[in-house]
Amino acid sequence: METAELKKQLKKQIVEFLNLTSVNPDDIKDDEPLFGEGLGLDSIDSIELIVLLFREYGINIQDPKEGRKVLVDINTMVDYIEKNRTK
Amino acid sequence: MPYFFIHTQEKKLSKIFVTGMGAISAIGNSVAENRTALIEEKSGIGKLTLFASAYADKRPCGEIKISTTSLKEKLSAHEPGVTRTTLLALHAFEEAIFDSGLNAEELGAPDTAFINATTVGGMCLTDELYHDANKTEDGSPYLSSYDCGSVALYIRDRYKIGGIVNTINTACSSSANAIMYGARLIHHGLAKRVIVGGTDSLAKFTINGFNALHILSPELCAPFDKDRKGLNLGEGAAYLVLEREQDIHNRQPYAQLTGYGNTNDAFHPSSISEQGDGPFLAMQQALHVAKIAADKIDSINAHGTGTENNDETESRAMLRVFGSPPAFASTKSYIGHTLGAAGAIEAVYSVLNIYRQEIYPSLQFKEPIQSTLLEPVLNYKKMQVNHVMSNSFGFGGNCTSLIFSKA
Amino acid sequence: MLYIHRTACISPQQSFGEVDIERLNESVENKLHAVEPKYEGIPPGLLRRMGKAVRIGVGAALPLIKQSHMPDGIIIGTANGGMEDCIKFLNQIIEYEEGMLTPGNFVQSTPNAIASQVSLMTANKNYNITHVHRGLAFENAIIDALMHVRENPSHSYLLGAVDEISAYNYNIDYLDGWYKRESVSNKTLYTTNSPASLAGEGAAMFLVSGKPENAIAKLSAMHTIHTGDEDLVREQLKNFVANNLTGNQQIDLFITGENGDNRLQKYYDACEDIVSTDTTIARFKHMSGEFPTASALALWIACWLVQHQQLPSHMIKKSSNQNQTEQILIYNNYKGTQHSFMLVSKI
Repeated sequence: METAELKKQLKKQIVEFLNLTSVNPDDIKDDEPLFGEGLGLDSIDSIELIVLLFREYGINIQDPKEGRKVLVDINTMVDYIEKNRTK
Repeated sequence: MPYFFIHTQEKKLSKIFVTGMGAISAIGNSVAENRTALIEEKSGIGKLTLFASAYADKRPCGEIKISTTSLKEKLSAHEPGVTRTTLLALHAFEEAIFDSGLNAEELGAPDTAFINATTVGGMCLTDELYHDANKTEDGSPYLSSYDCGSVALYIRDRYKIGGIVNTINTACSSSANAIMYGARLIHHGLAKRVIVGGTDSLAKFTINGFNALHILSPELCAPFDKDRKGLNLGEGAAYLVLEREQDIHNRQPYAQLTGYGNTNDAFHPSSISEQGDGPFLAMQQALHVAKIAADKIDSINAHGTGTENNDETESRAMLRVFGSPPAFASTKSYIGHTLGAAGAIEAVYSVLNIYRQEIYPSLQFKEPIQSTLLEPVLNYKKMQVNHVMSNSFGFGGNCTSLIFSKA
Repeated sequence: MLYIHRTACISPQQSFGEVDIERLNESVENKLHAVEPKYEGIPPGLLRRMGKAVRIGVGAALPLIKQSHMPDGIIIGTANGGMEDCIKFLNQIIEYEEGMLTPGNFVQSTPNAIASQVSLMTANKNYNITHVHRGLAFENAIIDALMHVRENPSHSYLLGAVDEISAYNYNIDYLDGWYKRESVSNKTLYTTNSPASLAGEGAAMFLVSGKPENAIAKLSAMHTIHTGDEDLVREQLKNFVANNLTGNQQIDLFITGENGDNRLQKYYDACEDIVSTDTTIARFKHMSGEFPTASALALWIACWLVQHQQLPSHMIKKSSNQNQTEQILIYNNYKGTQHSFMLVSKI
């Protein structure tokens, strides 16, 4: 899958998975921070996103600290998915 | 401004005494057995065997080594629909009322109240609940046993309790709040005697829930240790009989319930604020109600779950309240976190601290948390104990502190 | 004695914002679903996580808090809280075989999520409690509030109750025989002569204190009983009224929780027995449906009636020549085992 396409797909999955009803997936910028400012997600969302990575891409992040490095923005997530996906 | 309890009624309040106790946990089926294990520093946490779970080998639990079937036998509770949560409750409830000598007439009186707490209720029956919630035929015998209220309703029917009956669920602080509510019923003349406490059984539901939050430890929990890895879940039940000073006549009470406070941390659905605002305010309020200064507290039964967040924030809050905190320990290192029962079981342990003039150590502790440097009690010891504080904090920022004092 | 200063209610009827309880919304497939407003006060970031019970609870609570000082306590009754989230999490456990699960549903499934979400959103660090005693969850919340108000009459408390219809608790109670098997409309609920009732849901919130100034209604007394014996209920109701009404006061309106379940009719008949022909008898379960904290909706309706003095005709079971509604007696019962009485007066 092309990186651009993967980004588009991931944004859609994040919006659905976290029920971000007021967010249009295409409005999420690739370098917009997921936590704090930006999308305003919190620690429970970070765990939910780790589950998303597992269910959709077969990536098993055990250590939440590693999760924090991956879950910065769309760019970091896509980069990690491309390198580690098993499905 | 946090508000403080009881202004108008200050002068009229009668003393509230603990006249009976019952407890069942991973370290014993009675208060006496629990005490022996605490003195001998024996943890009851180990491999989960009660039911099949993907986490049986990976997440130690504090389970009670009596099967649900044996509990039904032992307690003659053969009605269909009785759950393990209810059976544990019944076990501890019967010990408590026997211990205080309450008879059937007193239990049935309109001024006897029963305040229960549970968070799991009948949800320990994961497979039955899955079926009954999703399938439109063949309901199981447990249809009216899943909710939290089912436990107290069963015990009420069995003992025909005549006064106010209630169930509280504020997550992990539930039974501390049940104790507080019961005490207030007495202060307000809405009951003369109350049986207060809580129960929870181990469940796939809670094991998976806490595991999904990454706060279940793969090892024995190590409260207040710098390398703690999370909590162990446990199961159990405990009840205390509270009575007014003027009603106990010649009986020797175990202790007096002198203080209580409940506040909300208002920070996050599942973690406590960095400076421990909620815990700080709850402890302060309990001291205010007990009308004692912080330095009068001789020991603290800490909430001490063993999670990164709880132990550090509770430590900060203790430092804020006490400056230099008194002897403290987390008895969750013996029995795990028993959720809706935790506040009541730990209240029983706190009462034992006073009645027996002794304190029980925290297990698995090696090195203190660097930012707070607090060390829990590490050895059993006899000592003068006049006032004990017991802390319970729950999801949704619910924070409760109780104070028991020498009668 | 509780003085009720403000109320808000999200129910199957038009009870939130522009209130219109004259018009009766109809049930759909034996359920009366809450009419949910737009929730302008709840940030989308929080709203997305809330199940229906939390949403309607917080949605009804926020307007009361926004219009006043910080309440000195938040006291909620709910039998089940977020049942939907609870079973969603349970279903994950089974369907993913205890694999990697999302914790959001688990955190939201605790019944105290409603009270704690209100405190979180309004930075309220005061007393915060959730009573879950099935059909008397709201009544125990009232007892709690009564004690607080006696301790501190000038303080104000947010008192309320919430329960939701989830597909799951509907299913469980349906299997247990508490919802009707045949298709029934709420407009003909009381003439069905069959067991069980219609499912309902709602949230009612009250700002209460011990001060009569600016209050809209007064809850003068409340009593709870656990029994299956209708004679005992009648006896206690008689005593309750005798103990709480003074010489020349009388019950103008008696609101009962009659719910179309013919197994429970004996309790309502026994209680109607104790009021005189000068008392109007009314019902409300065709508006709310049946759920464990439905009595909170009855209290909300009573507050509205003493304020507006307009009893919708669809509520009337037996009229009287009474044209003033000053004293309202409420009797509710849940599943024939948990009973409560409330006495509501005009200020």
